[in-house]
Amino acid sequence: MKQISKKSALLIGGFLALAGNGTFAAAAQPMSGEQIIQQQCTACHTKTGDASKPYSRISQQRKTPEGWQMTLHRMVSIHQAKISDAERKQVLKYLADTQGLAPAETAGLRYGLERDGNLVENNDPAYAEMCARCHSGARFGLQRRTRAEWDLLVQFHMGQIPTLELHSLARDRPWFELAMNEVAPKLAEDFPFETAAWKAWQAADKPTFAHAWTIAGYIPGKGDFDAVMQVRDQGDDRYALEIAGHYADGRPLSGSGQAITYTGYEWRAALTLDGMKLRQILAANEQGTQMTGRLFMAGANELGAEMVAQRAAKGDHAVTRVMPSHIRQGTRQEITLVGAGLQGTPELGEGVRVIKTLSAGTNRMRLLVEADKQAAVGLRDIRVGQIQVPAMLAVFDQVARVEVVPGESIARVGGNGMPVAKVKSAYRAVGYASGADGKPGTADDIRLGHMPATWTLKAFDETAEQDNDLKYAGTIDANGIFTPGDAGPNPERKMSTNNVGNLSVVGSVDDGGGQVSGEAHLLVTVQRFVRSSVQ
Amino acid sequence: MKHLKSVNKKAKILEAAVSREEVEEVVAMQTVVGCTATTDPGWEVDPFGGLSSLCAPMESDLYGCADACWWPAQVPDTMSTSPDWSRGIDKANVDWRKLDGIFPEDE
Repeated sequence: MKQISKKSALLIGGFLALAGNGTFAAAAQPMSGEQIIQQQCTACHTKTGDASKPYSRISQQRKTPEGWQMTLHRMVSIHQAKISDAERKQVLKYLADTQGLAPAETAGLRYGLERDGNLVENNDPAYAEMCARCHSGARFGLQRRTRAEWDLLVQFHMGQIPTLELHSLARDRPWFELAMNEVAPKLAEDFPFETAAWKAWQAADKPTFAHAWTIAGYIPGKGDFDAVMQVRDQGDDRYALEIAGHYADGRPLSGSGQAITYTGYEWRAALTLDGMKLRQILAANEQGTQMTGRLFMAGANELGAEMVAQRAAKGDHAVTRVMPSHIRQGTRQEITLVGAGLQGTPELGEGVRVIKTLSAGTNRMRLLVEADKQAAVGLRDIRVGQIQVPAMLAVFDQVARVEVVPGESIARVGGNGMPVAKVKSAYRAVGYASGADGKPGTADDIRLGHMPATWTLKAFDETAEQDNDLKYAGTIDANGIFTPGDAGPNPERKMSTNNVGNLSVVGSVDDGGGQVSGEAHLLVTVQRFVRSSVQ
Repeated sequence: MKHLKSVNKKAKILEAAVSREEVEEVVAMQTVVGCTATTDPGWEVDPFGGLSSLCAPMESDLYGCADACWWPAQVPDTMSTSPDWSRGIDKANVDWRKLDGIFPEDE
């Protein structure tokens, strides 16, 4: 078998297509995705003679763009498929468009596409013990297969990973029988090939993208931002992007990029903003008025955050962000509203007055706002002209509790002369006011939103303290970005162990002189040598 | 287990540290998405959500487990999927700087 080097193991698809002009030229070759399948893939896959499912294996599965990307990569790296990068892009686009997932079928699992690794999945125990003990539940939950194809997936695992039956949670039970007789049928029931949602999506009018969009999000190390993203149609579901906006502190932000859409709603973009290379993985809603997802660093996918894009075409009216989303009783501060079609004087709810409109654009308004001393603690609806958005601004008396997010996270050692880079982690503090019961940590707490914080680390438990993890595992900066230690055995440590550590990340918010702190759990651990589009 | 008695110091520590109830909990435990904790040992997280039950440093016996697909989603297995991943890097504890990742190009 051929050496799978970093180069030959390249995943293909949208991002590569976006990377440079040459790739677009290559994509414009005469053969369609379907023709390439007929010509190249039928060397192994047979023609079934059934027009609705013309090819063995291929036609009995539906996947996300990333899912097909992984499949095509596997065909090349393991099965020696003879197919060029340009051809792979064509096939990926064709399969994602014709055998994708409906928007509703990806709901709840989009983190798997958005490369957000710092969360804990809630898998059905049957899947947690069988499948999601090695990879995410999103990896299979974002696929749809016939019963026969789910069976074959089990068989593939047995062939490709023969020691699988010897792992913990496998050797203590009849793994293969359970997989074939219980889990595969369950997968076929939970994630069936044919669904009403997919039929409806295939028949539906699809969103259009060549508009102005108001985008808002957060870039670790830089802060909250909002901008207008102009999207220009380049044909074949490809788009050119121009972006201009501001960080929350007023600094300007600009850049450009390119995007491609799959399945009528899956938006994948590569951007350069302020010299930073970033990616957007977003999904349009079925009406095409809004896209939501994640913006992250191209070279460090763990550094990113959720973002929203609101269509700002004629007739669109919306408020998508209020920055900051909280105001203390008896104080005056600037607030920025971000959205589309913003016209008229905003109303911010009882006890909150707009003192002055500092700037008024249709996509962005800056206001000087004051909350009365007696304004009731709680959430306020916001009205701007015909727009009314519920519970967007919080009035608070004091910060009763701070939650550090993500609550569970991983960072990985790296660098130190090896090609695998460190995997960092980034944190934010979310403030809460006590609700009517006056007690923090109860169901009626009022979420105030993100707040500036100072950051420290401490040992998570007694073992971490004894092993001096704090000294070796890494450091956190003023922006809440944790940088792990160097790769390699460390002779200074017991048994020359790696610079791993079990830490707590402590975020402290200044609440008018007093400090309110929250903690999150961080495991600094070893490198990951295999990374997939869906982990 | 109830018929076995710990005879040395390490076994007694283990027995005290891990009660039968805790072992039962391991089955249901979930870790950060995409991490493997239950492959005995896990790769990046141990079954208790920590690090102390992992092989450490990982370079000292990397191939003994990874070659045989012990963590196929995290470390290339040379038995099936990536036979040449560690070619020419015979001693991971010495030549660990030569170990490369298999990552999508867009990263």
